[in-house]
Formats: sequence, C-alpha cells, structure tokens
Amino acid sequence: MFRAEPLLKIRLRILASEAADAALELARFGIYSPARHAPERLPENPAAVYRETWLEVEARTAKLVERCGALSPLSIPEGAEAPTLVDLEELNGWLKEVWITCLAAYEGEVRIEEEIRHLDALQETLGRLERLNVDLAYLLRPDGLLAVNIGSLPAASVKRAGEALSMTGYVIYNFDTIADQVYAVIAGPRDRHGEVRALLSQAGWRELPVPPELRTHPRTARAWLSEERQRVEALSIAECAVLESLRGKYRSGLEEARLRVELGRPLAAAAVLGVSGRGALASLSGWVPRRRADELKEKLAARFHGHYWLDVEEAKRHDAATTPSLVRYPAWLTPFVPLVRSYGVPRYGEFDPTLPFALTYLMLFGAMFGDVGHGAVILLLSVLFAGRLGRAAWLGIAAGTVSMLFGLVYGSVFGFEDLITPLWISPMHDPIRMLSVAMAFGVGFIALTLLVNTGNRLASGRVAEALFDSGGLAGLLFYAGATGGIASLAGANTGALPFWPLALAGIVTVAIYKWLESDAGFAERALVTTIETMEAGINLFANTLSFMRVAAFSLNHAALALAVFTIANGLDTTGHWLTTFLGNVVIIVLEGGIVAIQALRLMYYEGFSRFFSGDGREFVPLKLMDARVP
Amino acid sequence: MTPSAYLNTRVSLFANRLWREEDLSALLATDHAEMAGALAERGLPQLAAGFDTLDNRSLEQRIISRLLDETTVLIRPLSGPPRNFLIYWIERFEIGNLKTLLRGKMTGERPAVILSRLTPMGVFGRLDIEDLAHAEDVGELLRRLESSPYADIVRPARRAFEESHDPFILDAALDRSYYEGLEHRALPLESIAGQSFRRLMSSLIDRLNLVWLLRYRFNYNLPPAQVYYLLVASRYTLSSAQLRKLAALGSQQEVLSALPESLRGLLAGVDSIPEVFARMEHGTVDCARKVLHAGGPAIARAFAYLILREHDLRAVRAVLRGRLLGLPEADIRLAMFHPATGSA
Repeated sequence: MFRAEPLLKIRLRILASEAADAALELARFGIYSPARHAPERLPENPAAVYRETWLEVEARTAKLVERCGALSPLSIPEGAEAPTLVDLEELNGWLKEVWITCLAAYEGEVRIEEEIRHLDALQETLGRLERLNVDLAYLLRPDGLLAVNIGSLPAASVKRAGEALSMTGYVIYNFDTIADQVYAVIAGPRDRHGEVRALLSQAGWRELPVPPELRTHPRTARAWLSEERQRVEALSIAECAVLESLRGKYRSGLEEARLRVELGRPLAAAAVLGVSGRGALASLSGWVPRRRADELKEKLAARFHGHYWLDVEEAKRHDAATTPSLVRYPAWLTPFVPLVRSYGVPRYGEFDPTLPFALTYLMLFGAMFGDVGHGAVILLLSVLFAGRLGRAAWLGIAAGTVSMLFGLVYGSVFGFEDLITPLWISPMHDPIRMLSVAMAFGVGFIALTLLVNTGNRLASGRVAEALFDSGGLAGLLFYAGATGGIASLAGANTGALPFWPLALAGIVTVAIYKWLESDAGFAERALVTTIETMEAGINLFANTLSFMRVAAFSLNHAALALAVFTIANGLDTTGHWLTTFLGNVVIIVLEGGIVAIQALRLMYYEGFSRFFSGDGREFVPLKLMDARVP
Repeated sequence: MTPSAYLNTRVSLFANRLWREEDLSALLATDHAEMAGALAERGLPQLAAGFDTLDNRSLEQRIISRLLDETTVLIRPLSGPPRNFLIYWIERFEIGNLKTLLRGKMTGERPAVILSRLTPMGVFGRLDIEDLAHAEDVGELLRRLESSPYADIVRPARRAFEESHDPFILDAALDRSYYEGLEHRALPLESIAGQSFRRLMSSLIDRLNLVWLLRYRFNYNLPPAQVYYLLVASRYTLSSAQLRKLAALGSQQEVLSALPESLRGLLAGVDSIPEVFARMEHGTVDCARKVLHAGGPAIARAFAYLILREHDLRAVRAVLRGRLLGLPEADIRLAMFHPATGSA
C-alpha cells in the first residue's frame, strides 16, 4: 500500500505464428503490462501488420454492429484461440463485402428518405409555383430558345452563382427558401447552357425535376403527389424488410467477428509497445508482479507445452524511471487514488502517499470546515446520491463524518455555537491558539515530508542527497532546530535542547553539500551555494506559514455563520429562517468547495512537491476485453 | 504588460530568426558534413536530424511542426478575433491533411499508408484522423467531415463533388472555401490592425485569385463564368467586379494588361503563369517585411512574421532537397527565392 509491488521484467520468446495466442494468454493472465525493454536484440515488429489489419477489422465491425442494432452480450469462451493474421485478413475481406452489401441497402434507405424529402419539397414547391402564375409546360418547353432549370442550391452560393451566371447572359430568380437551400429558376440562352452546366455543378446546384404530372392543373398534380407518396411508402416498407433480412443473415457472422476482434485485441494492443521479433521468432516483453510469476510460468507451460522461452529478470534500481508502478489499495482507499494520480503516478520504488494523503486531507478538511450540521448535510447527500456518485460518494461520507467530528470539537451546529458545548474550543473565542495549533501541525507535516523524502532518496540509491541536501536529513535537522528555537523564543515549553546549534549544523551541512555539488567557478559557486541555501531555508518557513490557512478557514467558517445570523436577526421571523437557511446553503456550497480545494492545495504544494516526484508510469495491464464492449 | 506589447516583443525576438538572402546563400555553400551543425546553430535542430534523407514528407512535416510551435507561442497572449485568425491561418496545414485523406480514399490506399502521410498538427489538430482514415470511401469520409469543425469548408465541396465526381472540383472548392473563411476572419481585424494588415491580406488574396484565374482560364480552358465562381470573393485590389471582367477576357496578355495600375507595375514584363506567381509572391514577401519592420499593430506583425518564416523554411527545404538531388545551383537558387508560401 505504501510502495509499488516488486515487478519482474519478462521476455516471452515464441514462434511468430503463436504470438497472438501468447498475447491472448497474457491478457487472460490479467496482470501483464506490455513494455519495450532495452537493449532489444530483435529489431522487427512482427505484429505491425497484424495490428494494422486488426484496426481495419475493428473499425468495420464497430460500424456494422452500430448499423445492425443490438447484439447479444459478448462472452469469451474459456479455450477460444486468437485469430491468426490470415484469419483476420479473411474476416476483413468478409466484413468489406458485408459492408458493401449493407451500404447498398443503407443507401437505398437514405434514397427513400431523400425521395420523401423531395416529395415534401415538391409539395411545397407546387404551392409556390402556383403563385408564380406561370404555365410550367410552356416555361420548361425543351425546344425553346430559352433554357430553363428549376432546382436548389446552398444559400451561401446564391450571390456568387448569380454573379457568375450573369457573365453568360443567364438570370436567376429565387422563389423559395427551405432551411439552407434556396429554390430558384435559372434561365438563359440555350446555346450557352454547356458553360452553365459546369458552373452549376460547382455551385452545388440540384436540379428539381418537374415531372410531366406537375406540369398540369394543380389539382391533378396534387393527386399525382399523393400516389407517389404511397409508392414511396411501399418502397420504404420493402427496404425495411431487406434491412431486417440482412440483419438476420449477418447477425451470427457479426457476433463471431466481434468475438474475434476481442480475441485479437491483446496482440494488436501489445504491438504498440511490447512486441519485437526477427523472422519466425516473436518476443513479447513487459512487466508482471513478482508474486504472480510462478502462476504465469504454470499457465504458459500448460498452454504452450514448453514451446517457448521465458526470460525473467528483477527490475533494477536504475530502471525506476521506466518501470511502471503497480500498487494495491484496500477498497475504502480507492476513491482517494484519483486525487493523488491527478498530481502524478508514484515512481517505481517511491513512497506512495495515498494513505497519508487520505488521512491528512480529511483531517485538514474537517479542521477548516468543522460543523456538526454542515457535515451531516454532506454525509446525508453523499449517502442519498451514492448510486450516482459511485465510489466518490465515499469521499463525501468521509468528509462529512470528519466535519461532524470537528464540529463537536468546535461546538458548532449550522453555525450556532450555543447548542452544544465544544469538546475543545470554539475557533472565534481563541484565534491565536487556533493559529498556533495550525502552525504546529504544519511543522509536524513538513518534518514528516522531509523524512519521507529522505526514505525515497535512500531507496533510489541517492544516499548523499538523502543525508546532506535541504530536502533530506540535514534539511530536517535545520528545520527542527530552527522551529524549536523560534518556539522557545516565543515562550513555548520546549525543554533545554540546543536548538540553534542544531539548526546551524543543519544549514552548514546543506551549504557544504551544495558547494560540493556545484561545478562552476569560485564566485559562481559561492553565489549559487548562498542563494540555494537561503532559498531552501526560506521555503521551509514559507511552507509552514501556509498552514495558517487551516486556522484562518476555521475562523472564516465561524465568521461567515456570524454574518448570516447578523443579517437574519435584522429580519422578521420568516425572513430570519429563510436567511438562515439560504446562508447555510451558501456556506456549504461555497465555503465547502473552497475548503476542499484549499486542503488539496496544501497537500499538493506543501506536501507532495517536497517528496513526491509523481513522474512514474502507470501499470496498464493488457486486457482481454475493451471496457466499451457491451 | 499588455498583450500587444508582449506580442510585439515576441515577434521582434522571432524576427531575428529570419534568414537573409546571404544566409541562404551561405547555407547553399555549406559543406555536407557541416550542414547539420549549421542548421542547429540557426535554431533548426529539427531539420538538422536526417536532413540528408530523401524523405521529403518528413522534412515537410518538420517544417510545419516548427511553424506550429512558433504559432503556439505567438497566440498565447491573444484572444478573440486576432487569436482565431492566426489559428485559422495555421489550420491551413490541416486542410492539407484533409486533402491527403480525400486523395488517399479516392485511390483506395490503406488507412496506415494514408496516416503516415498526414502532418501531425499537435494542439492545432481538430480532426480525428484515425477515425477518418478508416472511412470506407470518399462519400463516407465527406459525410463524416461534415460533422467535423471544418463542416463549413467541406459542405460546399461535397455538394460540388457529388454532382461532378471530379477531384479537381473538390480541391478547388476546398481551397476557395478555406480562403473565403480567412477573409471572413480578417474582416474584424482590419479595423484594429489597420492598413498594414489589409495590405498583407490584399497581397495574399490578389495573388491567389490572379494565379488561379490564369491557370483555370488558360491552362484548363474553363469557361469564364466557372472560373469566376472558383475564385475567392474579394474586397481587395482585385475586387469581385474586376475579377468578373478579367475572367471574361480572351488571352493571358489581355488579362495582364487589364490589371489595376499597382499590379500592372509589379508584373511588367512577365509572360508566364509561374512568373506571375513568383513576382506576386515576391511582392507578398516584400509587403510582409515592410509590415514586420514598420512597428505597426502587433497582430499584423505576427501575421507578417508567420508568412516570412514559412517562406524562409521552405527556402531552407529547397536548399536541402536541391543539394540532395544534385540539382544545379541556379535551379536551387530559383527554388530558394520562390518557394511557394501560402499556397493551399
């Protein structure tokens, strides 16, 4: 829980023809993270073509499944084998054929929809054309000197097309607009119609065929339209039947394709990072936890009967930057993991701060937002919406509980400080004491981060840094000495320890270390050493002062409640309770949100930045099934 | 510090990176062994690695990557129309990707091959290229693009393509829509950034329109009305009314003689379309230099810098490619000083 699990570097050498099955077995194993290990002596990537084909298969299957409608939930049989490259290529070919067939049917459906829209447009057009008061049969006569077109073009093209048409002696007359389409009549000399055709095509012109039936009396035209509608509806029903039959025909094939996609996914996914090879040999490399290594060996032996070679190697200390971190957390701690991960992933071998983060974060939240009533509201809302919030509800429950506990300590219920007796103190009654306690907490917190940092550096083999740098033991010595000295000057009972000599010893050690670490000339070295040493000292105290906000927010909480009551007391009974209620809502939403962010800020900047590099790599196991697959 | 003061300072600092003619000549004379060092010294380490390979696509991608990086810095202090304008200008390269996708689909290339040809757009990328590359055909690709951020550019092109199935029509429609979008975005800036910015835009759009007009009319023999329709609706020196008149003329010489005075002077003595292009491009570069060094509005200077920088980097590419292909120095010099900036 405090550190990443020990991992083993593996290289599984196997025949290239069995690489897909090997990847599938590793995915079934459930805890193998593909990665490339240097030096890699096999320069080729035998899975590159496999991945490329798989991607095409996956894209086609996804499109067809989307069109085909709901398939049965996918389950992967225990002994199913991964598809070979040849299988995938065949499947890809089949999917392409199916897609072409389905596309034809789908486009038939689209054509019918367009025809329906066209009939709608004709109906509307008929209404408009009636108003033109023009004999269409005469206007559209094919043997006249005037060439006439009726159709539509995008509204954005109308002006430009009109200008261009005027260059050929044509005129454009807009008679209707539906959505972004403008319906127009274009007329001009027939001998220049050739020039105009290319232009119209460029402008996205769509001819509106005016059938002979429409070139007649409106009543007759309307009767024709109604017949057409019936015909198209019959076509639509027939097309639906075709689509349904296609769904029936290809459903089982698509279910099989979906299964094969999932079975091929492990090698396709591993191909990005963890597959190399040469000739007929393939190598799958990556990481597995040490505790599961024997189990992996057994599984591979049972599956491949000794026709493989497995290299297993301990993760080296110098591999820490490239080794992924796999940490197991108890279920109750998992809601806090994303908060730590949003800062960074612990480097392999580095202290994982999730547990202390969870405890300290809750404590800081409670200390800044201590109120039995407000905490109870947060707790209640988190329980009520637990279904929607998922695991995050636990964060709310924990924060609400801690807020209630601190509420008991401060004696505050919805801002009322006279309902219960505080177990310790009401913040507003002794602000100086609150500030002193917050500072003392900050000193303890920072001292702890320095200790953890020392441990991290020792674990990564940087012993000199751990002992002599400002973030290590020497820094801790200085910090402890200086804070003790300041506390005794302020009159605290700190005993008779030699604080100042300790602080001096610490800072001198840091300065010497920085001097030795710097490789510049004398003057630059002196400057760098002085500035860096001073900066280290100042930072420690600036960070400590940051903890004053814990007390400040607890005072702020009480002060806000006081402001609400002051306003409420100036109103009548209804106004009083309404203001009290709304004021409490504002406090919970606004101040609760601010305090949650401030607590996070304290953890990130005063805590994590001191010891947590956060530049580790997530252990991403190869999975058998994509989470998106139903 | 105000955003414009910051941008001005940034542009001034960047302007020191621009290449003078003598720098390019010196690069042309640099030994092969010293070329990588010379490029790195001039702040182009991306071009230094693998400059001697014949992979033109990779060189182009690295040039664009450099431009994207510098644009990222320039747009940092900007907001509103100036920011939108510079981002749209750099999205020209993504329109290039879009055309590559369309061409790949027309020729039935495999998705992996198409993807390898695309230029990584980094933070400026707005297309889901993986998804688009897996479209089955041009029709499906165009339909998907219609729900992309480039819908306004693609929609008219799709309509035109569906009617004609002509790749030329598709390309021309995309270019026209893109540059009309650029003009549209430039419009609110002309009141803020003043005459210098308008001059730059004018130089760019006039060049495109005149070259396209000559090419479509006299190389492809398209009818005047269609040629006019394919040009960018312009508010600059070559206005739409003038373009209409020019498109109706019967020969290249007639068109050049009928140009407004300022352009006639610039194009005096030219008799071929490549020469027109080269002369007008030189005019754009000159105009950009003047804007950059005149201390005008920051957005105009930033735009001028980007034009000049692209021109420079393409000149550097011309040197590297020309030397690699063993071209005569005179040909390399010709390509160096006319390397086609801003052509879509």
